[in-house]
Amino acid sequence: MITAVRKPFAEIAGMLEGSRKVLILGCGTCVTVCMAGGEKEVGILASTLRLANEKEGRRMDIVEATIERQCDREFFDTVRDKVAEADVVLSLACGVGVQFFGEVFPEKPVLPGLDTKFYGAAIAQGVWAERCSGCGTCVIADFGGVCPVTRCSKSLLNGPCGGSQKGKCEVDPVNIDCGWQLIYDRLKALGQLAKLEAVRPIKDWSSGSHGGPGKIVKEDAVL
Amino acid sequence: MKGRRITVLLCENSAWKAWIDAAGQGPDAAKRLEGLDPVKLPCTGKVEEGMVLKLLENGSAGVLVLGCPKDNCTYVRGNYRAEKRIASVRAALREAGLDDGLVRLDFLSSLDSRKLLDIAAEFRASVLEGVRQ
Amino acid sequence: MSTLTMDGLKSGSRLERVLAEGHFAVTAELGPPKSADTAPIGVKAAHLSGNVDAVNITDNQTAIVRMSSIAAGLLALKEGIEPIIQITCRDRNRIAIQSDVLGAYALGIRNILCLTGDHQKFGNHPTSKNVFDMDSIQLIGMLACMRDQKRFACGEEIRNSKKAPVVEPRILIGGAENPFGDPLEFRAIRLAKKVEAGVDFIQTQCIYDMERFAEFMRQVRARGLHEKVKILAGLTPLKSVGMAKYMRDSVAGLSVPDSYIERMDKAADKPAEGIRICVEQIEALREIEGVAGVHIMAIEWEEKVAEIVKAAGLLPRPEPAAGPEVRT
Repeated sequence: MITAVRKPFAEIAGMLEGSRKVLILGCGTCVTVCMAGGEKEVGILASTLRLANEKEGRRMDIVEATIERQCDREFFDTVRDKVAEADVVLSLACGVGVQFFGEVFPEKPVLPGLDTKFYGAAIAQGVWAERCSGCGTCVIADFGGVCPVTRCSKSLLNGPCGGSQKGKCEVDPVNIDCGWQLIYDRLKALGQLAKLEAVRPIKDWSSGSHGGPGKIVKEDAVL
Repeated sequence: MKGRRITVLLCENSAWKAWIDAAGQGPDAAKRLEGLDPVKLPCTGKVEEGMVLKLLENGSAGVLVLGCPKDNCTYVRGNYRAEKRIASVRAALREAGLDDGLVRLDFLSSLDSRKLLDIAAEFRASVLEGVRQ
Repeated sequence: MSTLTMDGLKSGSRLERVLAEGHFAVTAELGPPKSADTAPIGVKAAHLSGNVDAVNITDNQTAIVRMSSIAAGLLALKEGIEPIIQITCRDRNRIAIQSDVLGAYALGIRNILCLTGDHQKFGNHPTSKNVFDMDSIQLIGMLACMRDQKRFACGEEIRNSKKAPVVEPRILIGGAENPFGDPLEFRAIRLAKKVEAGVDFIQTQCIYDMERFAEFMRQVRARGLHEKVKILAGLTPLKSVGMAKYMRDSVAGLSVPDSYIERMDKAADKPAEGIRICVEQIEALREIEGVAGVHIMAIEWEEKVAEIVKAAGLLPRPEPAAGPEVRT
């Protein structure tokens, strides 16, 4: 999923300063799963804002709503009236949803309530870790299913570097495993270590974000 | 501030029993429980951040959560979860420039009505009268 | 395959000629200044000139901004030192690196060491973007392709126009290896990949545990790698007990024998003891088959290099047969 964390309260309050009618719009997909911007989190933020506003004597009407997701146009239909009534919309979707809201409602100011982090998985309850960089050309078949672009801090394709120690990456030995130790161990377990003997050529980075903002057109699905 | 009421969330396996016990102990005890609204929960593990904030938003002067002692939870880890969630709520209050003392979590057995009365009185003084210890 | 000069060399650099003639080579290191001041280079060069065969000029080591390796290398060249400039993969993409290599060669640089590079979080600009367009093995391959296939990484010939002559950078290509890094059993394989990519010489990270290094060399020899690449063993002389313990406890993959720590502890003149240990290490390394030389990293202690080299019986440095004139 796309993971995100909610922005600090002070930053959000600062963005909303002067607004009178605020719609906090949650997203029911990725950010619900990583507990950053779903219905519960909308409720928590709304309550906290109302309490803070009451204390400071600020007048602000806060409306709460959560839709299935904010990256497909259809789901906004259920909240068109709420959007129309708001001065500003604080979207708790990932960066995609916030922007897409702006494309669907170009005249409505939209603010991001989250900091979008990475494509990741829940490796334990309450813990999410990055697994994919969206490089555009997946090569994990050659690395035992472990991505060298994402899991190696330097994206080495012929790793490891000299900073691999006891299976940890020197960039952050507490939190970051050495991606190349993982690749090595996995290929060893699969009996495929020979895959690491050939020199792997330089990557074509243009299939990912280095080639500019991407676009996919699936012709058979276009109306 | 004054005149508002405090919500007390009580685990039915421990604190709720202590509350019933305390409430039946005569006028002095009853006085110490004045202004507090008890709510029975199956476990403190049922408490969620949003729930506590909603109570405050809807007018509770403070939220007191009472449950089984650690390692004595009927549902094994419910009170540990409560501890983390209450810590999270308090952090959210602090972050928003609000008083984190409006929310408190404590642990006691069903037989400890004495402790319940003490905590209740202390919390009320703290929340309604600003008396901090 | 590779084009050799008239005397069978790839670059004609002094380092290459010393190694080709079978002498035990000696290299050292020089860190450029953290400013535009050229004086520190002269000071360090003076200590090293005549005492070593070539000197590494580091490239923003530890991701701390210093004068560029090529610029400092050229200044060192003027001071009578043969530079080995370093290029890491952290700060430059393939366009910038190939461009730099053309320029470096045009200005007289003949040796280039290819490194992955320390992550930027270790340096003084931790919030910068990194590059890592390639890794060190791919970098070695890219430079070997420029020199031997006379082509850029994209496949185009290295010539200014269809009618202009092909003028490729004829450089000696080096790499680094950490014999003690994890996964340990993979290190010799990784060295083999560098050899396959076209590396001419390797400098290792500094060694204290001679037994473990000897084991690494056994694995290297088992694959016949010592005949395909010149391996220079890295050494860093100890200055104090604190330094010995720091190396043992805080540096990735490094083990320091207790005997060294004891000796440093007991010695009255600790720096002198450190030098003595270093000299003994050199003597031991000369006995290991496949070790073609030493790379002495006396950081901020460059003045001791001459003493070490002399005590190890490696002075005067050999004067290899004259090679191509190096333009300065």
